[in-house]
Amino acid sequence: MEIYLPIAEISTNVFLLLSLGGAIGFLSGMFGVGGGFLMTPLLIFLGVPPTVAVGTGTTLIVASSVSGVMAHWRRGNVDFHMGWLLFGGGIVGSWLGVWLFKSLREAGQIDLVISLFYVVFLAIVGTLMGFESARATLRQNARRRRKAHQHNWFHGLPLKMRFRRSKLYVSALPPVFVGFLMGLLAAFMGVGGGFIMLPVMIYLIGMPTSVVVGTSLFGIVVISTVSSLAHAVQNHNVDIILALLLAVGAVIGAQYGTRVGFRIQGEYLRGLLAIMVLAVSGRLLYGLVARPDDLFSATSMVLR
Amino acid sequence: MLRRILFAAAILALPAPIILATSPLKANDHPLLVDLLPKKIEVDSGFTGSTVILYGVKTLSGDIIVTLRGPEAPVVVRRKRQVAGIWINQDAVAFRDVPQFYAIAASRPIEEIMDLGALDRNQIGTEHILLNTVWTRTEDEVDNFRDALRRDRVREEMYKPEIGNIVLIGDSLFRATLTLPASVPTGEYIAETILVHNTEVRSRLKSRLTVEKSGLSAKIFNFAKNEGVLYGLIAIAAALVAGWIGGVAFRKI
Repeated sequence: MEIYLPIAEISTNVFLLLSLGGAIGFLSGMFGVGGGFLMTPLLIFLGVPPTVAVGTGTTLIVASSVSGVMAHWRRGNVDFHMGWLLFGGGIVGSWLGVWLFKSLREAGQIDLVISLFYVVFLAIVGTLMGFESARATLRQNARRRRKAHQHNWFHGLPLKMRFRRSKLYVSALPPVFVGFLMGLLAAFMGVGGGFIMLPVMIYLIGMPTSVVVGTSLFGIVVISTVSSLAHAVQNHNVDIILALLLAVGAVIGAQYGTRVGFRIQGEYLRGLLAIMVLAVSGRLLYGLVARPDDLFSATSMVLR
Repeated sequence: MLRRILFAAAILALPAPIILATSPLKANDHPLLVDLLPKKIEVDSGFTGSTVILYGVKTLSGDIIVTLRGPEAPVVVRRKRQVAGIWINQDAVAFRDVPQFYAIAASRPIEEIMDLGALDRNQIGTEHILLNTVWTRTEDEVDNFRDALRRDRVREEMYKPEIGNIVLIGDSLFRATLTLPASVPTGEYIAETILVHNTEVRSRLKSRLTVEKSGLSAKIFNFAKNEGVLYGLIAIAAALVAGWIGGVAFRKI
């Protein structure tokens, strides 16, 4: 069944989109990641214009993360104090990111920048995960955990605040800065950015792991919401039909992915994910390096 | 389709004798009379392209050329260059008033009807569409970009280099069939009919054609462009509800 996507302006099969959403949801449930960083490149391979893939991606993340936030909220695992600081930084980051996005689009460089961002980030994340997974598999013994109250240079920053839920007394600057960074990433890549937020929260800010996942999910939802709105207002690149079809698939797929994920050992999971991430990165890199069929491209500047 | 043609033929049969009978004008005053069917094309989610029939009467001898031009817009053509192993858009040339669509039909090969200069002046044939740059540049450099622009339009099926047929019925009646692809741009189109005799343009007539989006996808598209804030809020609300329903539905399983 073909459906015309009004903003992407292409016709695609409904079931293809549902199963694509399902596959991404399955993977994100299995690996415990947002899946945005796989969704945007896959949509681009499918023929969706990169700008629309990014804008729609931000909306999709709102849908796929909200049920997780609610589950953690019920268990009291969200540090809202920290969450609002992330949100504050995120608003600035998102609007700035989307504005930059718009400028690059007008300069004809946005497709290149999106691909470059993805190649670099996926390569870094994939390599790190691959190494970690390999080391963990080889050693077999449990990884050394950091203490909750290890002090580092982060704790010397001014504007200290008390975070009751996280049992911390640290500066308000790092959460705001992390939020800002996440907003930029959300605007440029259409990703939630959990893969950056989690390490920063655990290792640099020193939050207890029990509240890290809930709080970062909360941050992802609010920042994606802001980016999504900013894209819709400034770039008109959010395709509501595409987002909803993918969301339906993703919500269902995530449930099954979670169950499969429980049965597989963590190290193997991360190893598999690393291979997949590196494959996507390689495919995008090939697109940048291979000689295009036609060196010229025409863009209509029609004002609609 | 057949019914349309019959309908067109029926209409076609009417005006000529009436005009000849009621208005004792000299033939030269109205050498051409044409009409389009349909005058408006609606593009909805199931649109797979359409056909436009232009039919008319000529009272002078000569060849007929029909061109259909889509709405005009500025177009930027960019050229990629390899920088550090990566292909990057580097040089750009902007063209103004580029027709988004172009199709042509003629009663004979156009080179036989007019000389090259006249084809350029009248913008007849995809190779003769006027493509002016926004800023002045050296010509030999711009030519590459101009060719690339034509190539791109042909690849997108927006320019049809093949010249369509014009069916002549007797000496005075003629009919041209022009096809529009599924991805046709929306806007105001102009169909121009030219009567040429001995390489001289004897008469020309313009008819309008409207192509517009309709149905749900058009509503969503226009809403997203015009009411970005409200559209964004609705999209987010829909995403929140979808995610929430999904979470609730699967919690018990």
